[in-house]
Amino acid sequence: MTGWLHQQSRALAAALRRLFAQPASTLLTALAMGVAISLPSGLYLALDNLNRLAGNIPAQPEISLYLDTAIKPAQREAIATLLKRHPALESSRHVPRDAALKALGESHGLTDITAGLERNPLPDAWVVRPRETTAAALAALRSELEKLPGVEQVQLDSAWAERLQAALAIGKTLVWLLAGLFGVALIAISGNAIRALILAQRDEIEVSRLIGATDRYIRRPFLYLGALQGLLGGLAAGCVLAIAGWMLHAPVARLAGLYGSQYHLRAPTLTEIGAVLAATTLLGCLGAWLTVARSLRQVEPPR
Amino acid sequence: MINFNQVSKRYPGGHEALSNLSFEVAQGDLVFLTGHSGAGKSTLLKLIAAIERPTSGVVSVSGQNVGRMSRHAVPYLRRNIGLVFQDHKLLFDRNAIENVVLPLDIAGFDRRESLKRARAALDKVGLLSREKANPIGLSGGERQRLCIARALVSRPALLLADEPTGNLDAGYAADIMAMFRDFHQVGTTLVISTHDERAIAALGGRVIHLDHGHIKAGAA
Repeated sequence: MTGWLHQQSRALAAALRRLFAQPASTLLTALAMGVAISLPSGLYLALDNLNRLAGNIPAQPEISLYLDTAIKPAQREAIATLLKRHPALESSRHVPRDAALKALGESHGLTDITAGLERNPLPDAWVVRPRETTAAALAALRSELEKLPGVEQVQLDSAWAERLQAALAIGKTLVWLLAGLFGVALIAISGNAIRALILAQRDEIEVSRLIGATDRYIRRPFLYLGALQGLLGGLAAGCVLAIAGWMLHAPVARLAGLYGSQYHLRAPTLTEIGAVLAATTLLGCLGAWLTVARSLRQVEPPR
Repeated sequence: MINFNQVSKRYPGGHEALSNLSFEVAQGDLVFLTGHSGAGKSTLLKLIAAIERPTSGVVSVSGQNVGRMSRHAVPYLRRNIGLVFQDHKLLFDRNAIENVVLPLDIAGFDRRESLKRARAALDKVGLLSREKANPIGLSGGERQRLCIARALVSRPALLLADEPTGNLDAGYAADIMAMFRDFHQVGTTLVISTHDERAIAALGGRVIHLDHGHIKAGAA
C-alpha cells in the first residue's frame, strides 16, 4: 500500500515537473480547453439566469373566452353560471361587447374609428383567472372551456410564458449537445498535448519497457499529466466565465433597474464549479489514456 | 534455465532469421553466441527476453513459455533478466546513477535502498566516481559499463549481452569480459553474443555458432 502510494506520488511529481518544464505550451493548452469548456458552461449559466428571470415575473395568467356572436340566451346563461361557480377559477369577469368597444376606443385613441363603425364587431367576452397556474392545469382548463357550447375562442394569455419555457428546453438540450461536442474536443486537445510529450519521452518509454516497466507504470505519469492539464483547462474556463460575468454585471443591473427590478446575475454554485472541474479533469485523463495506449502499441506492437 | 525447442523466426517479408533451433542453457552456464552479422544472434537474444516472438516452436525461460506470454506478464519476466545492449540504450536526460536506479524505480523499490544498490552496481563496474556524470560525457567503454551496471542492479539470474564489446577497443573489451567472468563465477547465467574470439578463449564456456539461422557447432 505504501509502495503503491509512493509510486503514485512519484508519478504525480514527474507529471508536475513535465508540465512546468514547458509553461508556454501548458498554458496554451489550458487556454484552448478553457475556451472550449466555457461555451457550454456559459450557455448553461445564461439559460439558468433566463429561467430565473422567467420565474420572477408574477405569473397570473388570464384566460379570455370569446362568445359566439350568434349565441343563444340559454347558452349565455349556462356559461355565466358555470364560470361563477367553477372550482378551478379564482375569479371571473364579464366584458360586454359594448363596453369592450368603448374601452378599445378609449385606450388606443381610436374613438374616431370605433365611432365610425356601422356595428360592433367585437364579441361578448369573459375573462377568468385560474387558481392553478401550472402549464398542465392551464391546458386542461383551456380545453374544457373550449368545449362549452357558445364559446367561439379561448385565449390563454400565458402563451408567451409557455413559449419561453419551450425555448429554454431547447436551450437546455443545446447545452448538453455542446457539452458533448466540446467534451470530445477536450479529449482531443488533451491527447494532442500528451502526444507531444510522449514523443519527447519516446526513448525513456522504450528503455523502460525493455527493463521491465509495465504499461501501467509508463502510463501513470501521463495520466496525471492529462488530468492536471484538464484541471488547468477547467480553471481557465472558470476565469473566462468570471471575466464574462464581471463584464455583464453592470449592464444587466442597469437593465434590471430600468424595469425597477433587483435582478442580478447568479454566479455558479460550488457544486457546479466542482462538477465542471471534475469533468475536465476526467476528460483530460481520458485523452491521455487514449494517446498513451496508442503509443505503447507503437513502441512494442502486439503480436 | 533456457530451452529452445524447434524454434523458427521468420520476419515479415519472408526473411527467416532462425530455422528450427533446439538447444538448452542450464542455470549458471556461460554461453557465447557467435556467427557472422545477420546470422540470427540478436534475434535469438530477443526471443529469450520476449522482445520478439517465435514464428514456430517453443522458447521457455525458467519453465515459462516466453513466446506465448501475455503483454501484461512480459515486464515481470524482464525484471529477472539483465539486458546489455550494443548501443547501450542509456537515457541522456539524467545522470549516471539515475540511469542505473531506473530498473529499481520501475520495480517499485524504496528509493533510498535503490540508490544504495545503484551505487554498489556502479562501484562494481568502476564508475562510482562518475555517478553524477551525464552519459553523454562518458566514453564508449564507460557507457557500456554503465549499461552493465543497469543490467546488474536488480541482481538478475540471467544476463543477456548483445555484442557488448562490438564498438570497443581491445583494452576496454578485455575489462568488460573480465566483468562477465566475475558474474559467471557468482552463479549468474550468461548468454553473450560476440565476435571476440580472444574473449571466448580467455573465459572458456560453451559456444553456439550460428550460420544463416542454423546451429553449426557446439550446441549440446
